[in-house]
Amino acid sequence: MSGWTDHLGEFAEGVLNTVLLTVFSTLGAVLVALVITAFRICPVRPLRAFGTGYVELFQNIPLAVWLVLFVFGLPMVGISFELFPTAVLATALYMASYYAETLRSGINAVSSGQAEAARALGLGFGQSLRAVILPQALRTIIQPLGNVTIQLLMNTALAAAVGVVELTEATNRVNLVLAEPLPLYVGAGVCYAVLAMVISSGAGVLERKLVIPR
Amino acid sequence: MTASLRRRRLAALLTAVALGTVTACTSGGTAVPPAGGAGQEQSLLDRAPVASDADLAASPTAQAIKQRGQILIGSQLDTPLLSQQNPTTGQTEGFDAILGRLLAKYILGRPNVKIVNSTSQIREALLQNNTVDVVLHTYSITLPRAEKVSFAGPYFVSGPAIMARKGDSSITKPQDLKGKKVLAVTNSTGAALVQQYEPAQVITLGTNSECVTALEQGRADAYVNDLTQLAGNAQTNDKVQVNSGTFGQDPYGIGIHHGDETFKQFINDWLKKIQAAGLWQEAYKQTLGTVIPGDAPTPPATGFVPGS
Repeated sequence: MSGWTDHLGEFAEGVLNTVLLTVFSTLGAVLVALVITAFRICPVRPLRAFGTGYVELFQNIPLAVWLVLFVFGLPMVGISFELFPTAVLATALYMASYYAETLRSGINAVSSGQAEAARALGLGFGQSLRAVILPQALRTIIQPLGNVTIQLLMNTALAAAVGVVELTEATNRVNLVLAEPLPLYVGAGVCYAVLAMVISSGAGVLERKLVIPR
Repeated sequence: MTASLRRRRLAALLTAVALGTVTACTSGGTAVPPAGGAGQEQSLLDRAPVASDADLAASPTAQAIKQRGQILIGSQLDTPLLSQQNPTTGQTEGFDAILGRLLAKYILGRPNVKIVNSTSQIREALLQNNTVDVVLHTYSITLPRAEKVSFAGPYFVSGPAIMARKGDSSITKPQDLKGKKVLAVTNSTGAALVQQYEPAQVITLGTNSECVTALEQGRADAYVNDLTQLAGNAQTNDKVQVNSGTFGQDPYGIGIHHGDETFKQFINDWLKKIQAAGLWQEAYKQTLGTVIPGDAPTPPATGFVPGS
């Protein structure tokens, strides 16, 4: 296994890019998901339809297809970003549909009496969402959110196919030089496992602090 | 939205996606017939050498082919400039195809070739069970392969070369890649080789067509891949051009039955004859040379790589 140490820098860069992809995509996906979920439960019919359409559209087409569309399709209509932001955009928009569904299940878990009580207090739709429903919904779905985030982490590996040098692509490149696939990919797998464990134990800590026992 | 309507809209969208992807892969891709008509090749064949009885007597395999009256060549029909079937004439065109006919004329006195489709998975098997006499189609000589089949040649040395957008001749040699953004296919030898020339960034994509599209769209300044692959791209896509010859070595050999030393010697002698007569160079100019800049390269000396 000579030469391992020569490539530690490449590995570190790969891990860093995977982490950055995960963090930016998660932030973007959660923001989009909040909006989409609000649309899905709001009283305005066209917005509800848009929310449903969004989730159906993004969930029913694989991320690999979205990545190819964003990387090669957008430049055809004159929109071209660097590869990394393009990968973040595609991953965030795609994963937002999963976050939105998780969020909606959390909202469904909040009893309708809560919404009625909020209305009785004179709160509007946005106010009751922010002050009453969302806090309870979010505290119900911490573990599922953690799982979706792990799914997002794993999905960042697809960005390798469109030229982003994240952990998987870094491993591909080192393997091309060293031709030691077994230890290299096992090593990459361990890195992914560690990152996933960070997410799941973070979710576990939050869960213990915030969960609402029913 | 009813379920059926939703399904139909989804179907329409998926169709659009599929079309978009196909367009992305083949933009500008029309089948252009290779330059150099049948007339040029006919003159080449007219001047091609024919083996003497003494030559033939040295190789039992060559004698058997002569008796059969036809040579069976393992090749493929879908490789532009090397071996591609022309749908209107049914004739196989390209460098490998012309060499195949020259070899046929050398043995038989006339270019009577039967092409047996041989993908890279089954080439060794076809030679081992004598389904074909030779495999003549981008068959890279490697030591593991040389344990299963024997290689005459090499008859051509390919290797990574540089492609750029049409009209951009700023990068013509590997040293020019320094500080540039370079495309390569994931896990290709080009991707590994290009690192030493200190490019600003190497972008690796999964397939050749994705790399060509990314090059067209300006994501990088150059694309490095095997010369013959790039030449094929340049022929089917008028937005890109080949800017350099090769800067690495991938020798193509003529695969024959393992251990058939007399036939190997027979083919090597033929290669030397067509090279000395300038026929090899002409075949190159009529095919690969139409899109690769510069003169025909010096033909490789037979047996110079391990395994041949």
